Amino acid sequence: MNLTRVWAVTYKEWREILRDRLFFAMAFLLPVGIFMVLGYGISFDVEKIPFAVLDRDRSAMSRDFLHRFMDSRYFDYQGHVTSERELDPLLANSDIRFAIIIPPRFQEQLLAGQATSVQSLIDGVFPYRAEVAKGYVSAIIANFNAQSLVSHLAGTQGKSREQALAQVAPLRLESRYLYNQALRSQWSISSGLMMLVLMVTPPFLTALGVVREKENGSIYNIYASTISRSEFILGKFLPYLLISSLNILILWWVVMNVFGTPFKGHPFFYYAASVIYVICTAGVGLLISLLVRTQVAAVMLTMVVSFVPAMLYSGLLVPIESMAAATQFESHLFPTLYYLRITWGSFLKGLGWEELWFDVVALMLYAVILWIAGYMNFHKRPST
Amino acid sequence: MNQHGFILWWDRLVAMTIKELKQLIRDPVLLLIISYFFTVDVYMAGSGINLNLRNASVMVIDHDHSAASRELIYRFRQPYFDFKGEIFDTHTAESLLDQGRILAVLDIPENFQRHLLQGQSVAVQFQVDSANTVLGTLATSYATEITAGFSQDFAAKRLGPDSGQRASLPVIQNRYRVLYNPNQIDGWFMSISELLTVTTMLAMMLPAAAAVREKERGTIEQLAVSPLSSLQILLPKVISMGLVILLGVAVSLFLIIIPVFDLPVKGSLGLFFTVTGLYVFTASGIGLFVATISRSLAQVTMLVILLMMPILLLSGAWTPPEAMPQVMRWAMKISPLYYFNEMSYAILLKGAGVRILWDSLLGLALLGAVFFNFGVWRFRRQFG
Repeated sequence: MNLTRVWAVTYKEWREILRDRLFFAMAFLLPVGIFMVLGYGISFDVEKIPFAVLDRDRSAMSRDFLHRFMDSRYFDYQGHVTSERELDPLLANSDIRFAIIIPPRFQEQLLAGQATSVQSLIDGVFPYRAEVAKGYVSAIIANFNAQSLVSHLAGTQGKSREQALAQVAPLRLESRYLYNQALRSQWSISSGLMMLVLMVTPPFLTALGVVREKENGSIYNIYASTISRSEFILGKFLPYLLISSLNILILWWVVMNVFGTPFKGHPFFYYAASVIYVICTAGVGLLISLLVRTQVAAVMLTMVVSFVPAMLYSGLLVPIESMAAATQFESHLFPTLYYLRITWGSFLKGLGWEELWFDVVALMLYAVILWIAGYMNFHKRPST
Repeated sequence: MNQHGFILWWDRLVAMTIKELKQLIRDPVLLLIISYFFTVDVYMAGSGINLNLRNASVMVIDHDHSAASRELIYRFRQPYFDFKGEIFDTHTAESLLDQGRILAVLDIPENFQRHLLQGQSVAVQFQVDSANTVLGTLATSYATEITAGFSQDFAAKRLGPDSGQRASLPVIQNRYRVLYNPNQIDGWFMSISELLTVTTMLAMMLPAAAAVREKERGTIEQLAVSPLSSLQILLPKVISMGLVILLGVAVSLFLIIIPVFDLPVKGSLGLFFTVTGLYVFTASGIGLFVATISRSLAQVTMLVILLMMPILLLSGAWTPPEAMPQVMRWAMKISPLYYFNEMSYAILLKGAGVRILWDSLLGLALLGAVFFNFGVWRFRRQFG
């Protein structure tokens, strides 16, 4: 390997990038832009569920019961209706996602010490949200029931409220959220987005590097020159690696200072692991560039192999544990899964090499395989 | 003359459309990728992704070893939890949680059973790894439900052997109905969501790529001196790519989503395809605008991604609109995907018709007219 030739290719590529000002600006703006939009936009906190009420009882007790929903930050009261038929169009148009129907004689039955039932209708289009909403509804009703039972027992059996409470609900669950005490999805999402953005943008920078030369014919200069295959690939690769390595630092700064996510790990370890990850992801783009013949195809293929695994198979939005076995296997084929573990481990858990070495080694292996695949698939004597 | 002029205009449009289609067919790699998006990708998103908690590994520190504690542990089982065994000290528990080997640890205190039998209130501790907020939230929610159930059954046993008494307690029973997707099949939501994302991406990218390619190769000069108007140059690109995308949507819907995931189509398919067509038109308007401000495909790619991220995000697919901050909710009104999303789920799953959806339809049509005319106007200024 002749470093002068590598340097020549790198310098030529760098000049080309610098001259395309829009491209150069985008190379830095795009990662941060995506990052900000996703960081503020993705949230799995199910809150302010719009709901409507059909109260067939209109008593003091039904109003008290309904107020527990209206006062909750998880629900957003949209109004009363007078018949069940009015609920259908509201639900169909997503004006409300939840409706609660209180039967007649609600108060009468409760005061008589009898059980009654309310009906709740939940929009199930997105099952996760329906599941969480169901949990909120049960919690509010369970809370109401406990109070109602306590006063009932206190009234009929003459026990103190405390005794009655212990009798009604003897077991409590105390939850402790580790690593993310306030259960703020912004902490995990914003650090997790490092993985996403560094998966998506580097390959797009490199994807057109070689195929562009193929499409406009300048690749023949390379074919005719004395430069070797690996010198050419490395030379093409270095400027983009430099840009992406700078982007790591920019994003890291944003995660900590804009989103206020604490970093508990070892900075050097994390930076080194990130650079290895970027070598993998930028390498994916370069490999595509070597494989296909047109630029459109290169861009599309890059979308397939970068967006999809980053969004769906990394564990960022969808937990790996809840995937089907085949999908779990597939998710291990992409570097995103390993880097996400490193990122969350470093940011939220304060882990280092001892705990995360396996993931780092997996990334290194990935980089090596990509390199070999790229080398094998680039020929200076094209078959056509 | 007028009629003759119109026929000529029409013939030229058809000729250009055929030219675009031929050009597309000659790029087999691109065709392969497009069909991958509409089939394999949609299938994988629908089958593998599951936002419910499944088999979350949980371990127990049991300080009591009594019948009651075993009974409680027994309730942490599949499908939600996967009981992985017992550990004996908090230190091991912490390190297992750190490594992400288990999701949660249940800590049962000493004298658990004795205190329960004495009618005292007892607390068990549940430590959850909430680095992934979705998992953390769901695990806690199910654990709360499990302990509440245990608590209730225990209380019922103590309150008296005559369980008929329960009906005569003043409690509210919750009868919930999950609408539109009663079995909460994630595949329905996920596959449709993926289809809409894929459609957005292709509708923005393909016409833009087709337009900028002419610029990059210089063939745009030939078109500019031909008797074609700028609308006749642009419209065929949109029509041909739109036809391909509509075909893809049909394939995806009839070969993958409906047969594989047993999606019951509640509304009118005609309306769905009309809406899809309108949406493709809108999105390609954005793509054309991008094509006018960039000189190379590399620039187009960067800009399309930069524009696509907020459009995807403000669509309400990942975060429900009502949970967004107010500013974001206003911004959603200019994201065409927001309307497309709402209408697609409403038509396919909820069976809504034009009577309910007219406002979204109007919104999308307005956006489409604005975006498309803007794209054409920019193009005309550049090559008029």
